[in-house]
This record gives sequence, structure tokens and C-alpha cells, in this order.
Amino acid sequence: MQPLLRVENLVKHYAAGRSASLKDKLTALDGVSLSIPSGETLALVGESGSGKSTLALCIACLEPPTSGSIWFEGIDAAALGENQQCLLRPQIQLVFQDPASSLNPRWTALDIVSEPFLVQGRFTKPDRAVRALQLLDRVAIPRKMAARRADELSGGQKQRLAIARALALEPKLLILDEALSALDCSVQAQISNLLLDLQSSLGLTYLFITHDFAMAAHMADQIAVMYQGRIVESGPSEKILSSPNHEATRSLMAATPRFIETPGVLVHF
Amino acid sequence: MTQRRKFTRWLIVLVTLHGIIAAAGFFAPYDPVEQDRERPYFPPVHIHMMDTQGHFHLRPVFYPLRLRAGSFDQYEEDTATTVPLKFFQRGAAYRLLGIVPSHLHLFGATGARVYLLGSDAYGRDQLSRILYGGQVSLLAGLLGATVTLFLGALIGMAAGYFGGWRDELLMRIAELFLALPWLYLLFALRAFLPLAVSPLEAFLLVVIVIGMVGWARPARLVRGVVLSVKERDFVRAARGFGASDVYLLRRHILPETASVLLTQAAILVPQFVLAEMTLSFLGLGVPEPMSSWGNLLAALQQYNVLVSYWWMYLPALAIVPFFLGYLSLASALQQRTRPYKIEEKSSWSPS
Amino acid sequence: MRYFIRRALHAVFLLFGVSLLTFLFSALTPGNYFDEMRLNPQISPETVAALRSQYQLDRPLPVRYAHWLNAVAHGQLGFSFAYNNPVAPLLWARARNTLLLTITATLLAWLVALPLGVWSAASFGRAPDRVLSWTTATLLVVPDLVLALGLLILAVRTGWFPTGGLVSVGFDELSVSHKLRDIALHMTLPVVSLVLATLPMLVRHVRASVADVLDAPFLRAAAGHGIPQRKLLYRYALRAAANPLISLFGFSVGTLLSGSLLVEVVMSWPGLGPLLLESILARDLYVVIGGVLLSMLFLVGGSLFADILLYLADPRIRTAASAK
Repeated sequence: MQPLLRVENLVKHYAAGRSASLKDKLTALDGVSLSIPSGETLALVGESGSGKSTLALCIACLEPPTSGSIWFEGIDAAALGENQQCLLRPQIQLVFQDPASSLNPRWTALDIVSEPFLVQGRFTKPDRAVRALQLLDRVAIPRKMAARRADELSGGQKQRLAIARALALEPKLLILDEALSALDCSVQAQISNLLLDLQSSLGLTYLFITHDFAMAAHMADQIAVMYQGRIVESGPSEKILSSPNHEATRSLMAATPRFIETPGVLVHF
Repeated sequence: MTQRRKFTRWLIVLVTLHGIIAAAGFFAPYDPVEQDRERPYFPPVHIHMMDTQGHFHLRPVFYPLRLRAGSFDQYEEDTATTVPLKFFQRGAAYRLLGIVPSHLHLFGATGARVYLLGSDAYGRDQLSRILYGGQVSLLAGLLGATVTLFLGALIGMAAGYFGGWRDELLMRIAELFLALPWLYLLFALRAFLPLAVSPLEAFLLVVIVIGMVGWARPARLVRGVVLSVKERDFVRAARGFGASDVYLLRRHILPETASVLLTQAAILVPQFVLAEMTLSFLGLGVPEPMSSWGNLLAALQQYNVLVSYWWMYLPALAIVPFFLGYLSLASALQQRTRPYKIEEKSSWSPS
Repeated sequence: MRYFIRRALHAVFLLFGVSLLTFLFSALTPGNYFDEMRLNPQISPETVAALRSQYQLDRPLPVRYAHWLNAVAHGQLGFSFAYNNPVAPLLWARARNTLLLTITATLLAWLVALPLGVWSAASFGRAPDRVLSWTTATLLVVPDLVLALGLLILAVRTGWFPTGGLVSVGFDELSVSHKLRDIALHMTLPVVSLVLATLPMLVRHVRASVADVLDAPFLRAAAGHGIPQRKLLYRYALRAAANPLISLFGFSVGTLLSGSLLVEVVMSWPGLGPLLLESILARDLYVVIGGVLLSMLFLVGGSLFADILLYLADPRIRTAASAK
């Protein structure tokens, strides 16, 4: 049974500074490979600057990779032309870290959630509103907030809204790029549980990007550790957490305040 | 006072002022081109509530002027005839807003000409000329500002959204335009175009010239907004749903530029009205017999007018309430976008 | 240092661009100086043609531009058709008059604006500030054309000031002190007009910059040390607020030649402004180009000057530049 997503040797260079040539380049991804079976969650852990967000953008077809392939349900997304990529994009949706910037603050919640329908030209206007309200229900945003502007919502509500919007086009893969990192602890707990519920009820596959090992442990079946544009360690969650091999993994674990590594025993605060 | 209330208050003031000018036919007692060679350079009449016999009149009266005995240009009041000022008078025909024909004027008099603000060399009523002239000057300013903002927004969006060499090129050209002193540019542009044209053509030329002088600053400001909005995640997200460039520009980026454009409009319109006045004053703008505030002032270039006929200066003051209204409006708008900055240098920037 | 070289080069490019633009523009527009002549039946077409070829107006544009560039390299700016004189001395004579006016007005404006602005900022929100703000707002609302004309009428009606020109009739017979007095009298109205036009914005900017700085902790510390108010304001606050003001000063310097055009025309002051207007109307090409270029030189020089001043005045910029 082939995995939903398989990334092979993805490389991404950015031209650094003012020169448009690739001579002075910044290598964001240096040959990344990973795979996620359908219905599972892979947590991608790494510090800032390790290339996690770049990977997210490439997989979501928002940035073209320099080389490598992205197999989604057996199709190489990286090799597709612009038009065909547009057809593929709805199936891979991205939830960003900062909802203040990922939601247009002047738009109402209803408009934001129905935007995907609008852009794709699906459904009539009343239909869009109905479906949008249903999405709001699913992420537990009270219907009376639907007419409120995005900047009037709390951080947790905004992120729920972002998730609801991401679900609008019924994607198979949801990439959560540090989606919980900007939230308070209690809100984080609520939303991570929401995500787990949605996964089981909708059969979603998650690529969960984070720098927080505790969160990774809570959410994911598999963990991959990223360092300087490469995957340095990957495997099932328990294995990584109990016996981390790579130095980067260990330092990341040590940096997670709620997580203390004791030989053989995981102590979770 | 809150920013919103200030904005509303000045908006009402401006709308009222513009309304008066737009309804010039109603407020003006006479047709602006109507000459009366018997009454050149009449000073403004004095309106009295009480006549020389000590009677109080509910309706204001004035005395017609006649030449003082033994003088060529000194006038005095002819107290023998008392002429009442009538309101809602039937007078010369005109078309309100160019469409609705009407004969109704706010005030007028029979038997003598009431020159509230004096008359000019041909006996034309200055008040009427100022009101009608306002239509021309204000329209030139408004249209010019529209042209400039349209150009500026288009160029700014193109430069900001597409980036690359297009951006570089457009911004270099903008820099060139910004570096030139605008008055010189205005004169040069206008003067290098054909000078002896019909009033309508002259008006259009003035609008085009004014519009082309000022696009650089709005373009830079719009470009700035576009650059910052372009990178926002909600634009990325929309692209993730398959949005096209046009959609993004129209639904996400353009609304963000609205506040910048509005503020620029409030700053540019009075400047452009002034530009039209300056051009017409120097003979480069709207020619006679069309009146504009600028060419009304052109009479002041003659020394004798300057010395003896002070009321010919009054058209200059007509623009002052508009400046007040627009600048206050601009200040109210800027307070919303930058609540902590005391000064906004966008109207006059060193760089 | 490299930064300045880059800016200087940039300035030279700008000047080139403007001269090219002006040349192109004049070529594209209908009409030239000799059109007027052609209409005159007394002058034969052959004479006109001969004059045109004498002034090389019949040569193609790139040739003319090249010739002109060559002339500029030799310090000449072309020839004026209307005045039948080389352009450079003509411009220089007029520019001198303009500078007399604008330098006086600029210095005066700044000398008045600085203390007023500082005072306004120091008494922020209280009576003196409110009065000053109200006054500047009123002045701002009156455009310079209106102001200049108004002053002119005032002069005429009171007879206190002469209403035009640089000097009175019979100037040459006056003694030196009377000559100076005469010029000063003629200068008064235009200078007042210019000062009133620029003062409000200057005061506002000074007030804004100083007010921004007055909140800073270091000033409170200094006050706590017992430093007297005036010294605090001028030696400490103004110094700290200097950066935007220096840029503004550079801008003032830049507009020394171009800012007084309208006032000069209205008040009949024989400066660069009326000359340019005349030449534009008469299509006296080389005068226009020379005049525009001279003004641009000042504009560009002004901003370079401001940058140099900033560099010298602010140690942060010095270190940042040398770190590059």
C-alpha cells in the first residue's frame, strides 16, 4: 500500500542577497526524503532555520523545488505544470503558524472559510454560506462569531478558523506549520485534541511541523528530525523519544522544557 | 474628538462647500459672462438693514452706485433710490449641474445690479464668476487627482506585485519624476503643448498635465503596501486554493491600498486645484471667457488693478476653505493609520 | 565613503536623465523659437532658415544633444535665442538674485522655526503650543499664491514697500548705504512671503522631532541631574532630534533655486523664476534646459549635502557606514 505522500531527495536553493543568479545561494533543503502513510501523522521536528517551512511550502506546491520529487498518491507533483498543479493543490492544505497573518483581518469569519469555495468557483452563494457554517461547527466556533471580523477573534479561535478554512476543499493531507506554537498552553491542548478528532473522523493525514518534542509526542505516529536542511533521524515516535541517536535530536529534546529524558522512562510534565 | 467623528465632520464641511459650488447657478445672482459695460470695476455694495432715513427694513437694502460728480472712477451711493434685496428671485436661466434647467436664484434685485463682491473691467459680477469659476478649478483638481491616483495605483501595483526588472525600471522613472520640482514640470509640460486652444481643450490639457505630474509619490506608497501585503500568509493561503494573480490583486491587495489612496487624494486635490489656479493665473491654463479662480486673479497682474480695485483679490480667498477642509480630512485619515506619529511627511517629503 | 561615491554617481545619472528628458521633450513638442519669426511677414523665410541653421536647429536631435553635451563639458550652456546671449552668464545673473532672496528667507525661516518648534514641543498640549499649532495650521491652509498676492495688495495699499523689481529707478545715484537699504526694502515682501510659506511646515517638523525625543529616558536622567531647562532643550534634545531636521535642511538647501518661482513672478523679482517662465513660453530651448539643470543641481546637491551633514553629525551613521 503506497504512502499518501513520499518526498524523494528534495533540494531547494534560494538566491541570496540582491543577485538574481544562483551563484550565492542559500540551501534551504539539501536532499530531504520522507514518507507518510495515509491516515497517519508525521511530526517534523527541528529548530528555526532548519528548513521546515520551506519543506511545507514545497509540498503544498506553493514554491517550486530546485530538484527532487514529491509523490502524492503516486503522482509527482513537482513535475507537473502550473495548471495541473492547481488541480492538485486543494488536496494538500497548509495551516500557518500565525493566524493574525494567515487570515485577512478585515474579512469576516464566514468569508474567510468560504474563500476556498469562491476561488474554486464551486457552489452558489447561499450554498457556500451553509457549508461554511458547517465547517465552523466542526471546529467548534459558535455560529454567532461567523459575522465577526477575523481580528476580533481570540488566538485560539483564529487558529480554529484557519483549520476550518483548510478543511473546506476536503484535502487529504494537512500540513500544520507550527500551527500551535503561537498559542497558550491550554489552548494548544484544546486544538491538538480537535486535530486528533478531525483526523479520526475525516481520515486525514497530517504533516505536523513543530520545534516542540512534547507536542510531537502527543500528536504523531512517526517523528522525523530536521537539521540544516536534512532529515537526520526518523522513525516511530516511541523509538525516537526513548533512544535519540543524533546530536540535533538530543539538543532539541533538551530544549523542550516540559520534557525530561530519563533512561528508559519518559517523564511528561 | 475621535478620529471617526473628525473625519465625518470635515467630510460634511467639504460636501457642503462642493455643493455650493456645484449649485453655482442657484447661488450666483447673475450669469458669469453677462457683461455690463456701464458698470466697470464697481466696488462691493454695502448691504444695509437700516436706511438713511432711519427706517429699519426686514429685507436688506442697498443703494445703487453712481459716479461721483466730477470724477471718472470714484463711486458713491445714490441714497435717493432704495433697492431691496429679494430672495429666491427669478433671474437668468441656467442649468443646475448642467442638466436641470432653472430660473431660480438665491437672491437678486430689480432695478439695479447687486454686486456683492464687486465687478470687473467688463461689469461682470465677481461673485457669480467666483462661484462658476470654482466649478472649473475644483473639477480640474478632482479630475487631475483621479488621473494621478489611477496612474500611481496602476504603476505601484505593477511594480510591487511583479517585482524584478519591471519594479526597478518603474521606480527609477518615479525617482526622476520625484526629483524634478513640480512647478517647473507643470509649466514645462503645459507650455510645451499647444497654447492657443479652445477653453475645453485647454481644460483637458490642464487636467492631463496636472495628472501626469504627481503620480510618482502615490505609486511609491502603493508599491510599499503591495510589497508588504504580497508576502502575507493569507495571500499565500489563497494561492494555495488556486487563486489567480488577478483575484489576489483585486480582493486582497487592492483593498489594502485603499486607505493610502484615500489619504493621498485628500492631500492631492487641493494641491491640484492650486496648480490649476497657478497655471491659469500665468496664462497657461483655462482661457477667457471660461472663468476659473486662476484667471480671475490674472487681472491683478495689472498695476492699476492692484492699486485701486482690491476686491479683485477675493477669488484667491475662495480656495482657503477648501484647503482647510481637505487638509483637515487628510489629517483625520492619517490619525487612523498612524496614531502615534505626530507629523505625516507624505505631503512634503525630503526624499 | 563608497556610499557617497555611489550617491554622487547616482546624482550625475539623474542630471543626465533630466537633460535628456528635457531635450527629448522639446523635440517632441510642436513649435520652436523661430515659429514666431516665421509668422512675421517682414522677415523672409530664407532669413529664418539661415538663423535656424546658425543655431543648428535643423540638425537631428542626437547631434544637437551631443553638441550640447560637448559645450557643457567646456563650461558653456548654449545660446539664448531671445536674449541673443550665451546662456550661462544670463542664468548666473538671475540665479544670483534668486539666491539672495532664498538664502535670506531660508536662514530666517530656520532661525525662527527652531526656537518656536522647540518651545512648542516643550510646552506640548499647553497654551503656547496650542496657539502656535493653531497659527501654523492657519498659515498652512493659505497657499503661497494667495499669500503672495495678498502681501502685494497690502504693500500697494499702504505704500510701505515697493511692489516689484530689485532696485528703484535711480539706484545708481544712491550712496552705498542707501543702495543697501533700497535692495532690502525691495526684498522684504518676497522674503516675508517665502518665510510665511515655509515656516509652518518647518515649525511642525521641529516640534514633532523634538517632542518625540523629549520622552526619552536619557533626557529625564539629565533633568534629574539638575541641568537647566534651556540647556536641556537645546543642547540635549535638539541634538538628539537633529537627524530628520538635517534631512529637512538639506531639502531646504535643495530648493534654494526652485522654491521661489511663483513668488518671484508675482512680485516681479528679477530672478531665475521669471526667466524660466519667459523662456518656456518663448521656446528658448537652451535657457530652459540650462535653468532646469541648474535647479536640479541644487536639488541633488542639497540631498547629498544633507547626507554628508548626517554622516558628520551622527556617530551611529559613521560606524554603520564604516562597518559596511
